Amino acid sequence: MKKTPERIERLAAEYVLGSLHGLARKRFESWMMESAKVREEVWFWERKFGQLPGEVPGVTPPTSVWSSIERRLWPAESLVESPAGKAQSRASQRWFWPSWSILATAAALVMAVVLMQPAPQSSRAQFSGAIVQADTKDPLWLVSETGQGNLLKLRSVAASAAETGKDYELWIVPENGQPLSLGVIPVGGLHQVTLTDTARQALSQSRTLAISLEPVGGSPTGKPTGPILHVAQLYEL
Amino acid sequence: MVASNSEQDELMGLLIAVSREDRQAFQQLYKKISGRMFGLCLKLASQQELAEEALQDAFIQIWHRAAEYHSDRGAPLSWMMTIARYRTLDLMRSRKAKQTSGDSYLEHVEDQREGPLDVSLRSAGAAELTGCFNELSDVQRDSILLSYYRGFTHDEVSEALSSPIGTVKSWIRRGLMVLKRCLER
Repeated sequence: MKKTPERIERLAAEYVLGSLHGLARKRFESWMMESAKVREEVWFWERKFGQLPGEVPGVTPPTSVWSSIERRLWPAESLVESPAGKAQSRASQRWFWPSWSILATAAALVMAVVLMQPAPQSSRAQFSGAIVQADTKDPLWLVSETGQGNLLKLRSVAASAAETGKDYELWIVPENGQPLSLGVIPVGGLHQVTLTDTARQALSQSRTLAISLEPVGGSPTGKPTGPILHVAQLYEL
Repeated sequence: MVASNSEQDELMGLLIAVSREDRQAFQQLYKKISGRMFGLCLKLASQQELAEEALQDAFIQIWHRAAEYHSDRGAPLSWMMTIARYRTLDLMRSRKAKQTSGDSYLEHVEDQREGPLDVSLRSAGAAELTGCFNELSDVQRDSILLSYYRGFTHDEVSEALSSPIGTVKSWIRRGLMVLKRCLER
């Protein structure tokens, strides 16, 4: 279709209005990419029609929207910043976050990847994920849940041994309250942790694990004392 | 427009900060405009869950695209509202495409409205586009505003106004051109 000025004018108006659909809309978008004239025409209508929304009464969105935005933009750190509505309930965890926020940056890490696995036998959703580090190609540990008995398996892939005199300790980071220790995890091989019902429930709500660096044998206090090295979000398969 | 010049300046400042990945500014921006934006998404979608998703997506786009803003794209608020509007329309389209029948959607929308067109929509349009909407016939204005505020397709406008689709298309096209000539004067 030829880009005549009349056609550009008409299609730009319909594009901004929203009445241009399907293939016609896609084709027009490619015109926009190609031509400054087309973009200017679109901007003209965006400016004009952009005045209309001011007349629509505002509606306060639920606080969950902001939390979701944070979670999507900063998956690991969304744990750190209290969304407005949850500030109170999270106050008790503050000790945990400062250490994490400083160290997470230093460790330059943390994402979770979805692992495709055969569908589990059990009808219950099962967790799966990986603890990864930005500068390491392979995941440090793969995490999966076995079908029965609340068993969480950690397979060590690219994890390297903790420094001398230190151990890695695994934690469930619940939505509220203190992290729950899942004990010290070894490097190399397969490690299994049995989840108590409380732990399973906390994990099913937050789907978040963390690993901290602790003295040999694990944290002496029951809370993370060393730097939080990794935070990983699990997925339900 | 609801936003005053000083507010636009403030939004501009926040947008610049967001383009430098300033998270505090981003949160402030959210506090300032999310209500208005959500109102628009809800009005378009008439559906809470879709509106929430659109609002989320819009802010994520704003975070990533703040640096693309420039004054040719309108005032900062209009630009951000446009992002939210497009996102809402996209989601509405993809949901509609998945539905076997468009009728259920229309009934849903129909339930939310008093008549073919809210009185408030009429006055909103007329007041804002510097009187240019007054140069349109009632049906031209109604079909344009239904498309704009409700994200209606031609089919849906044709149903809402009980008129053949070809007629509706030409109302919209001609109406838009009348508007353009008026706005350019």
